Amino acid sequence: MKCLETERLISYAYRLTDEPEASQVRAHLGECPLCRGIVEQHGRLDALLDEWKVAEPTPGFDAHVRHAVEAHQARRESWGFWGWEWARGLALASLGVLIIAGVVWFTQGRHRVGTPSAVATGQPPRAGGPQTPAQAAKLQSPTVTAPAGVRPAQAVPVQIQEGAFSNEDNDARALEDYDLAANFDLLSELPKGVPRVAN
Amino acid sequence: MALESDLQLMLRVRDGDAASFEVLLRRYRLPMVRYFRRMMRDQEMAEDLAQEVFLRVYKSRERYQPEARFTTWLYRIATNLALNAIRDRKDEISDTAGDDCDGGHLLERFADPQPTVEQRLMQRDRERLIRQAIEGLPDNQRVAVILHKYQEVDYRQIAGVLRVSESAVKSLLFRAYETLRERLEPLLRGGQL
Repeated sequence: MKCLETERLISYAYRLTDEPEASQVRAHLGECPLCRGIVEQHGRLDALLDEWKVAEPTPGFDAHVRHAVEAHQARRESWGFWGWEWARGLALASLGVLIIAGVVWFTQGRHRVGTPSAVATGQPPRAGGPQTPAQAAKLQSPTVTAPAGVRPAQAVPVQIQEGAFSNEDNDARALEDYDLAANFDLLSELPKGVPRVAN
Repeated sequence: MALESDLQLMLRVRDGDAASFEVLLRRYRLPMVRYFRRMMRDQEMAEDLAQEVFLRVYKSRERYQPEARFTTWLYRIATNLALNAIRDRKDEISDTAGDDCDGGHLLERFADPQPTVEQRLMQRDRERLIRQAIEGLPDNQRVAVILHKYQEVDYRQIAGVLRVSESAVKSLLFRAYETLRERLEPLLRGGQL
């Protein structure tokens, strides 16, 4: 006769087996002394484990639980108006402030996209205006070609530093220089007595 | 008058009925304290944790949903608390390992039983050996054995407590009982039962 698996026998010994499985094991045990021995051994273990007794709760156990519950309830009530309601209001207000700050930051951030000077001043970039410091420098110090023999007007070197001028300054200077470059008549500026140099 | 079900009581607790909470406390104080006394070595802590279970039940009464049996929920809270406390006290486990060595000698003593006037002392030692054997089991096996053997919780419900399948619980119990049989064999051979 083939013995049953130990797992089936132990399950039976500890009443983990439902019918009809339990009936099958029972029938087998009637014929198999080896399997019966295993089940009996676990029956003894089951009884041995019953010997482990533990102490009962101390007399003050219930009182401690009641006290803890009452303390919790009292804490909760003391929070009452100033507690959860207040905390919830504060959280909502904080959220509102954050949203407003976020919207403002986002709106401002869109205008800041442009030249470094625009970023510094918060001015929106203008179409057609100088886009880079190099372009701005070019506009601010135009080269005027003087006729031969005439000392050209000394161009003052302009050192441009990034962000040194506001966008308005750049625009104003560019406009002035533009007028100067377009309309400057070098000859008309010469003194009357000075003879013209022949070309 | 029939006893009110745990479920009915808990639903009343949820609605703010303090008397129903009192009934639940009286009904489960003993099982909870016994459970923790078997799970923990520190008896004072065991009682503190049992109190904590009831406090948590009370705190979470408004969120209580009667999806499973009340005792499944109760033992789940208790088991989580116990296992967390055990993990927090690893040093205690190493202390237990030291006791196991001593337990080996005691087992040899019991293997050769002799009539003695120190019956009470011997009984205390036997209990200590049983406790050590169970403490030596892996956490999930220990929980399964204590719930099944001492708390008389059905294996289907243990599956709910541990959130595992019923067959997994059977497997846990099978391995645990087989290990205990091996560890406590000298006591079983002693023929004092």
